[in-house]
Amino acid sequence: MKKVIALLLSMALVIGCLAACSKSDDNKGGSTGTGTGTSDTKEEITIEIYDDAANFNGEQVGWFGKVVKDKFNIKLNIIAPQVVGQDVYSARTAAQNLGDIVILDPGEFNDCLDTGLIKDISADIWNYKNLSQYKGQIEAVNKTLPGNNGQIYAIPCEMTNTAPNVRSEDTIYSSPLLRWDLYQELGAPEIKDLDGLLDVLKQMKDKHPTNDAGDPAYPFVLWKDWDGNDGMIGIANVVQLTTWYGEKIKGSAILKPDNTFTPITDKTAGYYKILKFLNKGYQMGLVDPESKTEDWGVVWGKMGAGRMYLMWYSWQVGAWNTQERLNDGSAFIFVPVQDQTYYADADAYYGSGRLWGIGSKVDDAKYKRILEFLDWYASPEALEYQHAGIKDFTYKAEADGKYMAINENANIDNLAVPAEYGGAGYQDGENKINQWIVGAVSTNPNTGEGYAKGYWSHYKEATSGKTKQEWSAKYGVAEPIDWMRKNGKLLLSPNVAVSLASDTTDSALWRNQCNQELCDASWQMIFAENDAQFDQMWDEMVKKLDSYHFQDLYKFDVEKHTVEVNAKKAVK
Amino acid sequence: MGKQKKEINILTASAKRRKRKGKIEFLYILPFVLLVAVFSYYPLYGWIYAFYDYRPPFALSEVPFVGLKWFKNMVENEERVKDILRVIRNTFAMSGISMLFSWFPMIFAVFLNEIKCRPFKKFVQTVTTLPNFISWVLVFSIAFSVLSVNGAVNSFLGSVIDNYEPTDFLSSSESVWFKQWLWLTWKNAGWAAIMYIAAITGIDEELNEAARIDGASRMQIIRHITLPSILPTYFVLVMLNLANFLSNGMEQYYVFQNAFNRPYIEVLDLYVYNLKKLNGYSLSTAISILKTVISITLLGVTNKISKLIRGEGFI
Repeated sequence: MKKVIALLLSMALVIGCLAACSKSDDNKGGSTGTGTGTSDTKEEITIEIYDDAANFNGEQVGWFGKVVKDKFNIKLNIIAPQVVGQDVYSARTAAQNLGDIVILDPGEFNDCLDTGLIKDISADIWNYKNLSQYKGQIEAVNKTLPGNNGQIYAIPCEMTNTAPNVRSEDTIYSSPLLRWDLYQELGAPEIKDLDGLLDVLKQMKDKHPTNDAGDPAYPFVLWKDWDGNDGMIGIANVVQLTTWYGEKIKGSAILKPDNTFTPITDKTAGYYKILKFLNKGYQMGLVDPESKTEDWGVVWGKMGAGRMYLMWYSWQVGAWNTQERLNDGSAFIFVPVQDQTYYADADAYYGSGRLWGIGSKVDDAKYKRILEFLDWYASPEALEYQHAGIKDFTYKAEADGKYMAINENANIDNLAVPAEYGGAGYQDGENKINQWIVGAVSTNPNTGEGYAKGYWSHYKEATSGKTKQEWSAKYGVAEPIDWMRKNGKLLLSPNVAVSLASDTTDSALWRNQCNQELCDASWQMIFAENDAQFDQMWDEMVKKLDSYHFQDLYKFDVEKHTVEVNAKKAVK
Repeated sequence: MGKQKKEINILTASAKRRKRKGKIEFLYILPFVLLVAVFSYYPLYGWIYAFYDYRPPFALSEVPFVGLKWFKNMVENEERVKDILRVIRNTFAMSGISMLFSWFPMIFAVFLNEIKCRPFKKFVQTVTTLPNFISWVLVFSIAFSVLSVNGAVNSFLGSVIDNYEPTDFLSSSESVWFKQWLWLTWKNAGWAAIMYIAAITGIDEELNEAARIDGASRMQIIRHITLPSILPTYFVLVMLNLANFLSNGMEQYYVFQNAFNRPYIEVLDLYVYNLKKLNGYSLSTAISILKTVISITLLGVTNKISKLIRGEGFI
């Protein structure tokens, strides 16, 4: 008897532990709405969104859930293959119903179109005024869908109302970003090349081995979560950094600045160069040893705690650069490396490549309500929720009608949202679809500025403190992208509407195996003890990749992306 | 004549009764037949995927039949053969190690039984049983907070030893098999011991008393009474484990795998899973068929050995 009790107790203990570990944020703020707008007359429905981009699986809760619920009496149930695994794709497609709304990468979209999982929306889409504003782009993208005779199936993600061959942002997606105060402390030496960058980082690390709280800090903190995502092969951190030399990795091929391709295994090209750069960093003791096993969640925490001295994604600074830090000079900002030319994508006028579609199995009533929802989703009102947050909580309107950010730590500190907006934490209640029909860089007709705070004149003014002022004084221009333009260091790739071929079973297998080999070998190479070992590992890897049909994969990828390159050439 | 007819009547009646009894008795095993059919035989239908060029979202009828393409693919490519041999080696090694140490829970149970202080005994038993109920994902997060570079162990060593260089225990590729066995044992030993404790409880107390009166020491009692009494249980459990030799569970290795230890940690099931992740359905099905073939071979070999040694097989 005692044994049984002991067993029961121990089980209760474990269950108790599990319950304590799980987030207690399932405060369904959305369901307590008072019912404004059109919801009174309509019964509540749940829309399933199959979403390639989502990092969250389950029902949308919190303040954004409340907005949608109050407006449409709709609950959003997000199905995220990134969270629950790719198996959900095969299972749901086998059941002939992927979702009421689907957000898919182009290859998958074409396949699903082929098997009749996507609804033809040609007859109705132009009855909706917000979506109609992007008619040109939507039509252009649909024309490229294989076997399509003028019907509309897809709505591109993140379209803009600017132009396909400009870049409206002040920064580019990836460039070397350093802590301005630490860089100044070293006397802001000119950085000639990657070795120079390593020297600067080494000095930073020597002067500040820990952050202010005493935790160890490193120039490089790496994570593996996104390796091989989006059809890329190789380590995401390395793949991104190749754009510093004007190269763009397209699957197994590297697109060089002169619009020719070279294999990712080319020793003279970017992947090798950046990998070697990271390895040199490791040999100098600059790489966080936890990089081997830690994941994105841990890294995000380290970035916010100031335990990382080099950033390379433009959005990464969001973890650190508050108004206060921008003003006291301790923010991250672009510092040019003289021998680099930066590759950047132009505004995603025709969209980012991912596509929205409506499932072919939805009934007429639901179909209407989905279109209504999508039309709203592309409206300025919805875009303000998506890109700027809650009015009077994360931003406010100034006297001139333009916006200004407040409560900037709402996301990183998951601030509690007042009950009137839906309660729960701000981050918990953010739009978990994590994908937009219209990009933040588009102009908001209500203010004449972009949708996100980075484009607001008031915000720029407020953050033009020490960091920006000193930076501008040193480089003689207002923004990083201006410096690149002025010095001819910007390689802008225009946005085009093309449809890329999806993988065959063979190429998918080659890609999978090559990717795993390349990723595993790359991680090992970053932590190689010396150059000889590094090169030996590289040669072994290349040999192994060849036996996994790397050459065939390369041929496939070059063919696949030549279409895109030709279209880009035509724009220029 | 009349007697004969009566006899025939009795015969047919008893035959009928037997038939009906047979039918009812069949109903007893029906649930188990169904269970086996649904969970063991029906999945075999999935083997059909190995002969198609399958990729979602297309239905099987929409993709080409490719015959033995994926089986050829397995052996044609030198690297793939190496890979398969490597994962089979890992599977055999890790299952082999657990087999080799399968006496551990038994010894643990025996010693546990010798503890005379009951509260302490119960405490040990509860503490060792508890990990069995923790999922591997949580086990890994425990391992991460204890063994990572900034984890408890390294922080402790760092505070005691001057100039200590932290070791990343989790990503090292050294003695992966042994370390994985340690985790497995930590998680399972207490649970596995329950069976032996039950067996020990079943030993006739008179035997122990008689031995004690004859002046046997504790170790002698263990050696001559306890162990021989629970050996049959041990052999049954070993047999059961042998059946799972190739399916040593992928969850554990899935959570512990990383770029550095993958060459040693990737077992057959994990390899199949990793391959399948990006549309490798057909090939991974083909490889799991290979697994079945190896399993059947193993079964045959064990059966032969059993026949040679004990004079009877189990099939």
